Amino acid sequence: MHANSSSQHASTKPPLPEQGGQIGYENTTVTKVPGWHGIIAWDALLNGMAMGLFLAAAVSELAAPAVFLGVAKVAYPVALVLLLVDLVLLVLDLGDPLRFHHMLRVFKPSSPMSLGTWCLTIFSLPLTAAAGLSVLARLGWDFERARLLAVILGLLPGFGAAAYKGVLLSTNAQPGWKDARWLGGYLTNSALLMGCAELLVLSALMRQTQAIAILRTAFIVLLVLNVIPLGLLFANLRTIHAQLYTRGQQWRAGALIAAGMLIPLWLMLLNGGLLSISVAVIFLLAQSWLVRSVYVKIPHTSPLGVRSGE
Amino acid sequence: MASREHELSSLPQTSDPPRGRLSQLLGRLISPYLHGEPRGPVPEVLGRLIYPFVRGEAPKPQQATGFYTDTTVCIGCKACEVACKQWNQLPSDGFNWSGNSYDNTNELSATTWRHVKFIEQFSEQTSNVLAPMGTMSDESPLNRWLMMSDHCKHCLAAPCHQACPTGAIIQNEFENVYIQADICNGCSSCIAACPFGVITRSEMGGHSHKCTLCYDRQRDGLEPACAKACPTQSIHFGPVDELREHARNRVEQLHQRGVPQAYLYGDVPSETYSEMHSFYLLVDRPSVYGLPDAPFNPWLHMMGDYVRSVAGGLAAIAVLLVVVFFLKP
Repeated sequence: MHANSSSQHASTKPPLPEQGGQIGYENTTVTKVPGWHGIIAWDALLNGMAMGLFLAAAVSELAAPAVFLGVAKVAYPVALVLLLVDLVLLVLDLGDPLRFHHMLRVFKPSSPMSLGTWCLTIFSLPLTAAAGLSVLARLGWDFERARLLAVILGLLPGFGAAAYKGVLLSTNAQPGWKDARWLGGYLTNSALLMGCAELLVLSALMRQTQAIAILRTAFIVLLVLNVIPLGLLFANLRTIHAQLYTRGQQWRAGALIAAGMLIPLWLMLLNGGLLSISVAVIFLLAQSWLVRSVYVKIPHTSPLGVRSGE
Repeated sequence: MASREHELSSLPQTSDPPRGRLSQLLGRLISPYLHGEPRGPVPEVLGRLIYPFVRGEAPKPQQATGFYTDTTVCIGCKACEVACKQWNQLPSDGFNWSGNSYDNTNELSATTWRHVKFIEQFSEQTSNVLAPMGTMSDESPLNRWLMMSDHCKHCLAAPCHQACPTGAIIQNEFENVYIQADICNGCSSCIAACPFGVITRSEMGGHSHKCTLCYDRQRDGLEPACAKACPTQSIHFGPVDELREHARNRVEQLHQRGVPQAYLYGDVPSETYSEMHSFYLLVDRPSVYGLPDAPFNPWLHMMGDYVRSVAGGLAAIAVLLVVVFFLKP
């Protein structure tokens, strides 16, 4: 009988508290994470690549049509493909993807996501037109004025679609994100840098020597310019990074990001060949993804004091 | 029972709000979908596409209502949690041992819209000495329990409301922050924006959920289920102005009775945050209760962030233009 009752006791033992269970509520993170994981890092990258390519191509074409007309006509369809992939990611990240069109119920400037959705929607129309008319031009049906009009009409919403993303990811209550005052400045600047890099690759593939010469210089200057908002962004995030990562982890990430800047810079200063350009652009895109990925992870990472075994 | 009969006698007449011409036309187009009649895939697709754009007229504004939670009389019975779950038909969160006092739901979530918090402030050396009323946790030794029933703050300028891109989050006629579950698409902007960690996305439907301040009950002239169930009147419901007055009197009363630390959290706007239509009487620092000491509305940064964002892009475009103009043949 005694044995029975003791075994009963053993079997009805309450479960142990979850690992990391905390007493009280002080020093806990009050906010909830939005669940924006890796897909949003890719979205931020593709958004920058699509908008940046369009803006770089449009600005270059409008400023020097004789040099950039050919490469711009290839850039618009590529930008459209990048935008479509990005839109698919955005829809898939919703809790209920079949309700994606609910975003268009209201126009709400107080919501960066609403502003961004409208910018993307409006931008997709002239971009599709510019891309379609560029393809038609290659097939022999040239509607040059209409194409040019579509490019001009796409400039403002395209710029808006590039600029909203950083504000969306900094105007919130999440730890770290709420302090990232320069995220928008960095992301928009980085979009143009990536756009210039993509246009440079396309020019190299099409052997447009004049375009390569101009874009190579622009790429070098933009690469150096981009260090400013990136540095300001990391200054904003210094406190949260110190809470989340060890010094070693911070140095390693910093070294990788610096390499993603310095290697393309060195390659561009050294040589303007297709291989150098391609490798430089790959390094730049990898670095851009890394910065976005590190940023998106911030609210999903537990502070060092909470994590065990680190 | 008598209380319920009293409430029911003052029921206002409610019905679906009338619709404008365009919405009536759209409604006719998708009526099989709206009424759940199986008519094949076309009405289903049309319904899904058109439904979010069908609008009713906004109801007439009513007196602003809210909660005033007096934590000094909370006994941690969790009747509010149970009443909330029962009325709103929220599923159980399972039987978990958190290891954090008597708290077994841990936090507010898509299925827990009321959360009773337990704070044990005991010193190991003097555990048999009761703390005098009105002692802050910084002034050791302390031997007391603090309990608090937490929920959505129904902020006047709610960051979740400002963030919502679908218009699913509205301020209803009672000035309560309400999520229209049939509109929400689970974008999570509201979750990122809320400084109190109230809103959560449900894993079942993928939509965001939180306390509705029993909008359905309010429309029928009933008080919210949690306030109704609270046996100590820790949870007060009513017009916000009256609640504020009542709460201030209570604070004064506590000060006179030797609890000088009693104060109200969220009843008035601060430099960085609006007033809340659900506010609390606390006797220790907000962070002890798991509340932000100084809540901050992220929208205060928005304009500056846009300026920096645009400046970053314009600087790059300017560089590109200068290089093109200088180097073009």
